[in-house]
Amino acid sequence: MSYQIEKALHREYEAGFVSNVASDTFPPGLDEDVIRRISKMKNEPEWMLNWRLKAFRIWQKMEEPEWAHLNYPKINYQDISYYSAPKSMADKPKSLDEVDPELLATYEKLGIPLHEQEMLAGVAVDAVFDSVSVVTTFREKLEEAGVIFCPISEAVHKYPELVKKYLGRVVPQHDNFFAALNCAVFTDGSFVYIPKGVRCPMELSTYFRINEQNTGQFERTLIVADEGSYVSYLEGCTAPQRDENQLHAAVVELVALDDAEIKYSTVQNWYPGDENGKGGIYNFVTKRGVCHNNAKISWTQVETGSAITWKYPSCILKGDNSIGEFYSVALTRGAQQADTGTKMVHIGKNTKSTIISKGISAGRSNNSYRGLVQMHGSADDARNFTQCDSLLIGDKCGAHTFPYVESSNPSAIVEHEATTSKVSDDQMFLCQQRGMDPEKAVSMIVNGFCKEVFKELPMEFAVEAGKLLEISLEGSVG
Amino acid sequence: MSQWFESAIVRAEQVNDWLSPVRAEALQTLKRASWPTRKTEAWKYLSLRRLEKSEFAQQQESAQITPEIIEGLDSLDLTFVDGQLVDLPADLPAGLSIVSLQNATDSVKQWAGEIIGDIKPERHLFGLINDTLAQHGVIIDVAEGVSVERPIRISYMSSEGSEAHTRVLVRVASNASVTVIEQAQNKHNSLHTSVAEYAIHEQAELTHYGLMMGGGAAMHVAGMHFRLAQQATLNSHLVGFGSELNRLDVDVQHRGEQADANINAVYLLRDAEVFDLHSTIEHEVPHCTTDENVRGIVADRSKAVFNGRIHIHRDAQKTLAELNNKNLLLSREAQINTKPELEIYADDVKCAHGATVAEIDKKALYYLQSRGISREQALVMLNFGFINALVDEMPHSALAEWLRPILRNRFASMDVQ
Amino acid sequence: MLKINQLSASVEDKTILKGLNLEVKPGEVHAIMGPNGAGKSTLGYVLSGRDGYEVEGGSAELDGSDLLELEPEERARKGLFLAFQYPVEIPGVSNMEFMKAAVDAALEARGEEALSSAEFLKRAKQACKQVQLPLEFLKRGVNEGFSGGEKKRNEIMQMLLLEPKLAILDESDSGLDIDALKVVADGVNSQRDGQRSFIVVTHYQRLLDYIEPDYVHVLSDGKIVKSGDASLAKELEAQGYAWLQGYEDKNGAEEPVA
Repeated sequence: MSYQIEKALHREYEAGFVSNVASDTFPPGLDEDVIRRISKMKNEPEWMLNWRLKAFRIWQKMEEPEWAHLNYPKINYQDISYYSAPKSMADKPKSLDEVDPELLATYEKLGIPLHEQEMLAGVAVDAVFDSVSVVTTFREKLEEAGVIFCPISEAVHKYPELVKKYLGRVVPQHDNFFAALNCAVFTDGSFVYIPKGVRCPMELSTYFRINEQNTGQFERTLIVADEGSYVSYLEGCTAPQRDENQLHAAVVELVALDDAEIKYSTVQNWYPGDENGKGGIYNFVTKRGVCHNNAKISWTQVETGSAITWKYPSCILKGDNSIGEFYSVALTRGAQQADTGTKMVHIGKNTKSTIISKGISAGRSNNSYRGLVQMHGSADDARNFTQCDSLLIGDKCGAHTFPYVESSNPSAIVEHEATTSKVSDDQMFLCQQRGMDPEKAVSMIVNGFCKEVFKELPMEFAVEAGKLLEISLEGSVG
Repeated sequence: MSQWFESAIVRAEQVNDWLSPVRAEALQTLKRASWPTRKTEAWKYLSLRRLEKSEFAQQQESAQITPEIIEGLDSLDLTFVDGQLVDLPADLPAGLSIVSLQNATDSVKQWAGEIIGDIKPERHLFGLINDTLAQHGVIIDVAEGVSVERPIRISYMSSEGSEAHTRVLVRVASNASVTVIEQAQNKHNSLHTSVAEYAIHEQAELTHYGLMMGGGAAMHVAGMHFRLAQQATLNSHLVGFGSELNRLDVDVQHRGEQADANINAVYLLRDAEVFDLHSTIEHEVPHCTTDENVRGIVADRSKAVFNGRIHIHRDAQKTLAELNNKNLLLSREAQINTKPELEIYADDVKCAHGATVAEIDKKALYYLQSRGISREQALVMLNFGFINALVDEMPHSALAEWLRPILRNRFASMDVQ
Repeated sequence: MLKINQLSASVEDKTILKGLNLEVKPGEVHAIMGPNGAGKSTLGYVLSGRDGYEVEGGSAELDGSDLLELEPEERARKGLFLAFQYPVEIPGVSNMEFMKAAVDAALEARGEEALSSAEFLKRAKQACKQVQLPLEFLKRGVNEGFSGGEKKRNEIMQMLLLEPKLAILDESDSGLDIDALKVVADGVNSQRDGQRSFIVVTHYQRLLDYIEPDYVHVLSDGKIVKSGDASLAKELEAQGYAWLQGYEDKNGAEEPVA
């Protein structure tokens, strides 16, 4: 029976094609000179370069963390190219018509048409290809509402005050090894600012694509939701199928000022490597948000890709009555390894957090939940609820749970639960007896296991997640 | 680096007895080990700073201290004072043998030499220190099919300024059963490392008490390690009071199918006490069960650490393992750090863990007060209510009855904010 | 419709069915009764292809095609339905989603077009009402947190929606109160159309008061040892199964009537 289940989970990586685009790519290697060149390519002001160089000096003194339940050969940071951009992007095309059709075709093939008339009505997209943003759609419409949505390289020029005020404030340069590296070499990413009291009129989305070989992708996203505003942001990622490992070390910073709400959803589908663990993306990502009074940050992630995932989207609940949420589905198969979870740091009074984590392990993969819930002495009446469920498919994989709970406030309540189960033969047989083939049965059972997380995804993304784990009939019952 | 650790290594070189091969091996590992810091995962929440600079006098003669009498408990008493075995019970029942480490006969040396240091996992730094330095200890052997009715009580006593390293090795042969009580009640400024290793053979049963009831400046790092063969049963009851430095590592290895381990632990901390309980359950074979219940009450400026790990190996299908940790945090200055871990490599298993941290139920407190019960008394009642189930499960009622008033006094002195 | 010839099968190397013969014609209702351990549930599992049930000999054909060679889902798509004695829970998968997938699979196998969500919803609601479950049961996880009786009704609801050719009800009456029993019986009776056949496996005669069988068979030690009409069930109710011991010794395996 479990053979059938494993077979059912085996699917091809559909985003594994390579786009034939001529690129300007730095030779591999990292030193101050490379950082100066990146900064120059982006035509950055002096302060930005200095900020990068400071981060680089910090990084040089740091050591790569080894505490995660991950096993991979040492990364040689001198073997990586830190900048690659399509040649056609050098002249900064002014409109979509000037963009290289091969680039547009790439996104088309991935199911993300960049012509506004063809797009889902309610979603604006920033398309990032290797180290540069190709295009950002619906900008005029967003500008009418006062919303800023642009590549961060552009924000550095156009909105230096906002960038200076918030960049590195949530994830400081010295935060961790990979964040420090990102601070030094980040190339592009999205910048979002939602003004006071504005409810962003559409979903914002960034689609990351790694194309060039031997390059790392180091994008940086900064989202600031001013007082009383709301934004829902989506992130997707894919990469070609290659035999080498490629490094992706991103930083995402969220700032939710008083009464603001940010909903951040990710469907991560980087190339996972083949069944034997050859190739695939090393995904080392730092994502963190800070909540001011009455603010809310909700992270939802569906992690199906990458050879290695090291990722802990977190919330600093600094303001009173603020809320943090983390909903996660992590599916590992083949030789994939994931060590993912969240940190909920309760500082303000009456803060609340919810963690729902669903890990599915198949093949020879290892899937770990690692989380921290911290109740500071100031966090009167704070609440946390954590539920971690693991589903094992086959007897060659591993499912692990490492939850840290630290409390020093007697009025705070922390509840953590974890369970482990498998897709049972009885469940499979019931589905088959009702006429479903094993593939359908598995995807249905796995979908059911993930339901609490999927319902948190915005509609447009639920479909994409569904495609990865098979579409559900959710919501069709009257 | 720690002065104390350096001196321990120097002293270890000088120990010479029949266990020298074991000691030499441990010393090699120890020399490669680094002294734990806050970045060492196993010592993340427990500072060793107090020990680092400590110096202890080498005790030539053991002080005259005797363990408290537990009324109604007809036990076979063994007492360590400042690391020396001062009291061995006479008139042992048939099938039970108790010998000191130093007086072990050749036949005892033969079997004991093979398993000593082998049940205890190598990763414990203080376990290695104990391997090299523990010159006094006791070897207990329960013969096949023998049920020892009278519990064996091992008391660990220390005097002011002493350093002690003691070793206990227990073999419960197949179909045998025995109760072993390990009890520490030191309050003096002292250091004690105690390591106990238990080999529980086929269908044998061990009832175990680990009463870590020291306090004050008494530093105690203890290891209690159990290996279970097929259909063996372990019932362990642990009590932790904490001191300036109090650490207990519990390891259970399921090596035979259908072995069953039940662990109940309570830690009840007040003042500035620190208690760190690490438990690791290794499920290496199929069809074994583990049920671990840990409850803690943490008051005043005290700090509790609980790290409970369940590791299900690839072959351990049909494992049932459950771990539950509940905590009451009574004070703003107190701290709880808990980490229930699961590491699972087999798919057909039922595993769950849960952890909660909460305060005392204010509504219940108010309810009791509204019935005319004083606040202090109400708190004692509610604290008791929280751990009673675990005390009730202690099979030796004399022990439970002896324990209750001690707990009551402890609760009465705790403050609730 | 169904032809079983000398069927033998084992579970974990223990032979449970020992040369069972049975023929069910279109529109017939056959009751299979017998003591615990006779192999009643095994018959349903073997016919529907459950893992771990090894066929040792004999044959079983549904409308001329060899059932035993097919995957469980292929048997289901040929119109074989098993109402489980102990329906399993599938957390998070809604009943609605589950049944739509099942109905779609059945339609696809017949070369018919899938139902629109609206049409399916209409039918599902109707079936739900017919088995007297509140409509919210359509949204709830498959059997998740259902009581024993609710699970049995849920099985009947699935049968109503799937409209099988042959339905095997495995102790669908066990643990039911009289009202629930009637719901189950009404569900079955509403589907009796002269073409659809049923095998009703039960320990007690009670269910047969409401579902009138055409034939009653007694299964003992893996074989059908006695067959008759509905009156046989009443006889069994009065006598129990104790007589079987002696009966077998005297008569050996008797050829079934049907």
